[in-house]
Amino acid sequence: MSLDYSEDMVQFTREPQLVELDDLIAKPVETNPSKKYFLALTFTASLLLIGIICTGITFYFGIGTWGNNQTIGWAFGITNFVFWVGIAHAGTLISAILFLLRQKWRNAISRFAEAMTIFAVMCAGLFPILHMGRPWLGGYLMPYPNSMNLWPNFISPLVWDVFAVSTYFIVSLLFWYLGLIPDFATLRDRSKDKIKKIVYSFFSLGWRHSNRHWRHYEKAYMIFAGLATPLVLSVHTVVSFDFAATIVPGWHSTIFPPYFVAGAVFSGFAMVVIALLVVRKVFDMENIITLNHLEKMNKIILLTGSMVGYAYLMEAFISWYSGVHTEQYSAINRAFGDYAWAYWTMVSCNAFIPQFFWFRKIRRSIPAMFIIVILVLVGMWFERFVIIVSSLSRDFLPSSWTYFTPSLIDLGILIGSFGLFFTLVLVFTRTLPVIAMSEIKGIVKGAQPTHNGGAN
Amino acid sequence: MTNNDTGYIKRTLPKNVGKLGIILFLVGAITGSVGFFLDPARASYSYLNSYLFILSIAVGSLLLVAIEYAANATWSTPFRRMSEFLASSLPLLILLVIPLLLNIQNLFLWSHSEEVAKDHMLQAKSVYLNTPFFSVRVFVILLIWSLFYYLIVKNSRQQDETGDLLMTKKNNKLSIIFIPVFAITVTLQSIDWIMSLESRWFSTMFGVYLFAGITCSALAALTFISVMLKEKGYFHPKITKDHFYSLGTLMFVFICFWGYIAFSQYMLIWYGNLPEETFWFMQRWKGGWKIVSLFIIFGHFLVPFSVLLSHPSKTNFKKLKFISIWILAMHFIDLYWLIMPGMNGNGLNFSFSWMDISFLVATIGIIIYMFNRMFEKYNLIPVKDPKLQRGLDFHL
Amino acid sequence: MSRSNKLHSVAAIFDNPDKVIFAAEKVRDEGYKKFDVNTPYPIHGMDEAMGLGSSKIGFVTLFFGLFGGAFILLFMWWSLALSYPLFIGGKPFFSLPAFFPITFETAVLFACVSTFIALITVFFKLPFNNHPLHDTDYMKQVSVDKYGIYILLEDEKFDKDKIIELFNSLGASSTELIYQPKEEKYSMFQPKYLIFLVFLAVGTSASTYLMLNKLMYINPFNWMEFQEKLNPQESSLFFADRRSMRTPVNGTVARGFIPYPYKGIANPKEVLSNPTLPTTSFLKLGKKKYLTFCSPCHGNFGEGDSRLNGQFPNGPTFHSDKVRNFKDGMIYHIITNGQNSMSAYDRQISREERWAIVDYIRVLQRAKNAKNSDLEEIKKEPSTND
Repeated sequence: MSLDYSEDMVQFTREPQLVELDDLIAKPVETNPSKKYFLALTFTASLLLIGIICTGITFYFGIGTWGNNQTIGWAFGITNFVFWVGIAHAGTLISAILFLLRQKWRNAISRFAEAMTIFAVMCAGLFPILHMGRPWLGGYLMPYPNSMNLWPNFISPLVWDVFAVSTYFIVSLLFWYLGLIPDFATLRDRSKDKIKKIVYSFFSLGWRHSNRHWRHYEKAYMIFAGLATPLVLSVHTVVSFDFAATIVPGWHSTIFPPYFVAGAVFSGFAMVVIALLVVRKVFDMENIITLNHLEKMNKIILLTGSMVGYAYLMEAFISWYSGVHTEQYSAINRAFGDYAWAYWTMVSCNAFIPQFFWFRKIRRSIPAMFIIVILVLVGMWFERFVIIVSSLSRDFLPSSWTYFTPSLIDLGILIGSFGLFFTLVLVFTRTLPVIAMSEIKGIVKGAQPTHNGGAN
Repeated sequence: MTNNDTGYIKRTLPKNVGKLGIILFLVGAITGSVGFFLDPARASYSYLNSYLFILSIAVGSLLLVAIEYAANATWSTPFRRMSEFLASSLPLLILLVIPLLLNIQNLFLWSHSEEVAKDHMLQAKSVYLNTPFFSVRVFVILLIWSLFYYLIVKNSRQQDETGDLLMTKKNNKLSIIFIPVFAITVTLQSIDWIMSLESRWFSTMFGVYLFAGITCSALAALTFISVMLKEKGYFHPKITKDHFYSLGTLMFVFICFWGYIAFSQYMLIWYGNLPEETFWFMQRWKGGWKIVSLFIIFGHFLVPFSVLLSHPSKTNFKKLKFISIWILAMHFIDLYWLIMPGMNGNGLNFSFSWMDISFLVATIGIIIYMFNRMFEKYNLIPVKDPKLQRGLDFHL
Repeated sequence: MSRSNKLHSVAAIFDNPDKVIFAAEKVRDEGYKKFDVNTPYPIHGMDEAMGLGSSKIGFVTLFFGLFGGAFILLFMWWSLALSYPLFIGGKPFFSLPAFFPITFETAVLFACVSTFIALITVFFKLPFNNHPLHDTDYMKQVSVDKYGIYILLEDEKFDKDKIIELFNSLGASSTELIYQPKEEKYSMFQPKYLIFLVFLAVGTSASTYLMLNKLMYINPFNWMEFQEKLNPQESSLFFADRRSMRTPVNGTVARGFIPYPYKGIANPKEVLSNPTLPTTSFLKLGKKKYLTFCSPCHGNFGEGDSRLNGQFPNGPTFHSDKVRNFKDGMIYHIITNGQNSMSAYDRQISREERWAIVDYIRVLQRAKNAKNSDLEEIKKEPSTND
């Protein structure tokens, strides 16, 4: 390890020319994809097709086709919802919080992470709508003056969810598009194809890279980042309120809001690492998305994983300390009851496995981190599963205690959500620049004035 | 990169500062001892309040130092020494905690064996809440903190002379270990000193709540002292408004974090509406406490939030000084609000006492005295830190 | 874009950011006002170099953020506490802690959307795809890796040659004259456009009609009009008599119905006692119901002078001694049960209204048989009835 603390992190393994960056980033957009790409797309699209079929079945026959039962009314649907909302959080964290912290290394990965945010929110949004049973009645979730003079119950955390997730989606989309405008302009000026040029002109809105615009742009970007930061915290906080505001033992815990947020960032970073590992390899972007970037991400995974571990400890300790029997029982039931297998999968994947990232060698080894982040994703999915299902399966009426078994439709929709996500990601890599050109150019050496008068 | 041309000249504070510290300490300590003599039970509560106040600043400052090392932050390197100085009262806490442990029966219901015998709930908790284990926990945690303080600060000071890069690396590792240790120890301390005052109440978020308050107060103390020193010209000339803007932003962020944690904790307990949890807030919504509760919402969140919201106010020295003193005061009131209502469940009737002030005065005296002593001995800026140059060159 | 020969501006390209920032300072110092710098990414310190103040976009955010938060808070208060108050989970109608999450989210939503719209339309004045700079070599370079300055024709000090000279002295790698594009005019009434409009109109209405009236009513869109239950008067194979309606079990009592114990008995031995008090409002109710149901046969004043003029048997007068000696319960019984050719009125007149009629009949009887002492009573106290 180098001992030089006087230099910032090396952003590129080899300092690139600005034109070179444009060529590299625009290449996937401007050239025809290879066979491998179509192979990958076929694979994800088939997963998506499974999802579409299962969704259609759910749509036609209702949610009786799921494994949910009278006792366990929330299972896969809500688990998947919370899981995907969590995945979304990493993108905003990278694009907003790291921007405010002036972490330059975010520039290389922000666009990609933001795109993943939007796709993940789209996946997440599917589940509550499907779970309604009559999705076409979903309009009643929004307060609009209807003939029955009914308003949504604003006191319900589930309605807070509607507001939080839709706000999050809209704001992320605007934030993302704002960053894309200069890149569309660059693509427009590069492109020789007439139709493409019209499309890029349309989306670039006629952006001219004018400094009179840049100054508002930078300020607005700062404001967006400043607003997106509390927003991203609030979204998963509101999701945690769905559980914590009830009095179900194992759900009613005040640590839920920060614990859910840490877990969300944790799983989101894992997903971003997986996608980046693939993208940098496929599109030859190892120079821009370097091992240093991945190492930083792994450090954050370690940090948030430890926070999640802290929350597990606190929950277990306070449930004992509270002296409330139902709380104590719910903690014991989680660890040693019917769902012990899920609980210990979750604890080992979330709290123990990331601890390997203490070692620098593992942080910088691509195969090792690939395995670890996949395990993290598995662990985080199981975390939501354990919270939801194990608590519900032991409700206040022992005669209705039961066990949850997912149906094939449940599994199909889960697979389909992954299909949807990765299909969108693949389409994105071919249609839009996966790295923010205007941002990455700004951190190349010599891209900023040296403040020495510039007279040379 | 040379580390010698930082242009720092060592100076000392006026002599009065040290004297002021001693006088404040003596005034507070003497009146406080009288208080212990007159009403030991009430005095214990006041003492606990001030003890946690100085603990917050000391251990919070150590945390800031650790975060700076662990995150490899550069802009805050010129400020690190002040946090080190503020943390210097940590080893003293081992002495300061002794009066509390002697008065443990005045504070905690669970330390009375006859009360425990009557109460099933206290019996269930007695594995954890008993005097020997409690004392051991308190001492072990203070020892751990002091050990980290000693090691980190020793390395940092040694680097001033040798310029050894290895020291930064060592401290980096120490800090990374300290942060999780801090998370667990501060949670235990929050449960021990505050939550167990009302031994039936529980909240999983409580450690995080105290952590937020601690960080706010440590940042406020750091900001106040840096602004004072900058105004009086003790500070490095290359410290610009950008540095103070960053400090202000950090304070703003932690104020928001505190608000978020406090609101979430209240909202969830309010929404769940379970008697075993709500009584704690009900206690703080009765009589005069209602005013204090409302004042904390405004004073600890809304006022600093609106003051620090705009860009120019984060670099305005007057506003920064005002708001950092305000936050420190609010942290004291917050601790007061956490601790004092517990008295009623302990057979005492709460009323405001002059002792609350006298211990606070003594605490401030200790902080000023320790700061002055450190200031005389050591450099205000880590002159040979490899990150220093980048820290000084920091621009937004 | 084809160009006219009207000049728009003079532009210069620079190779590195130091040069362009220096050039911007110089251009500003020379007194040019209408110039701009184009760079592929924002350059630190350029705002000061160009002499621009800080952006005011923050005020838009602040205003609309506060507005959005206040608006939704008021709206939630209005809808849950005033418009349709519902008691939910033991919480007050106006539950401030529970309203905070939505207030916050909406404030952020309003702030972000308004900032974005204001930024694009007001601050950037975009979309602007036919700006003269587009499709120039200048634009193609500054959007990749070069840095450019241009000075507009409108500037007071504009002088083409001088500016080119200035740019060259500042180390510009190339200069370029940018001309206005030729104006293009399109008529509203081109056949192509009109056909497009017609197709758009027909397409939109047809698809909306199909969507809202047909598509949304096929399976599985279930709007609960078709439910797995039997409606009244429907036939059903489930029961042997092929009817969906069932006769209620003996002794079934309808909800809100109090059975009358002397139903069907012509001359009951005992009757109910009057449970009501003859208050003014109650008597008014009795008058109203009397005039509706009783007066056609018994007359407006109970004198048996039917308005039906003999088309129907006259009802007896109420002022006979027999009727005056009836107990209240007996009159009630007759209304409820019917008598002689009078049918039962218990289906038309509610229980309370029947007692009100009884009270009103008592008033009529008293009025028809008033004594002098009654008049004195009235004189004694000032009239209280309105």
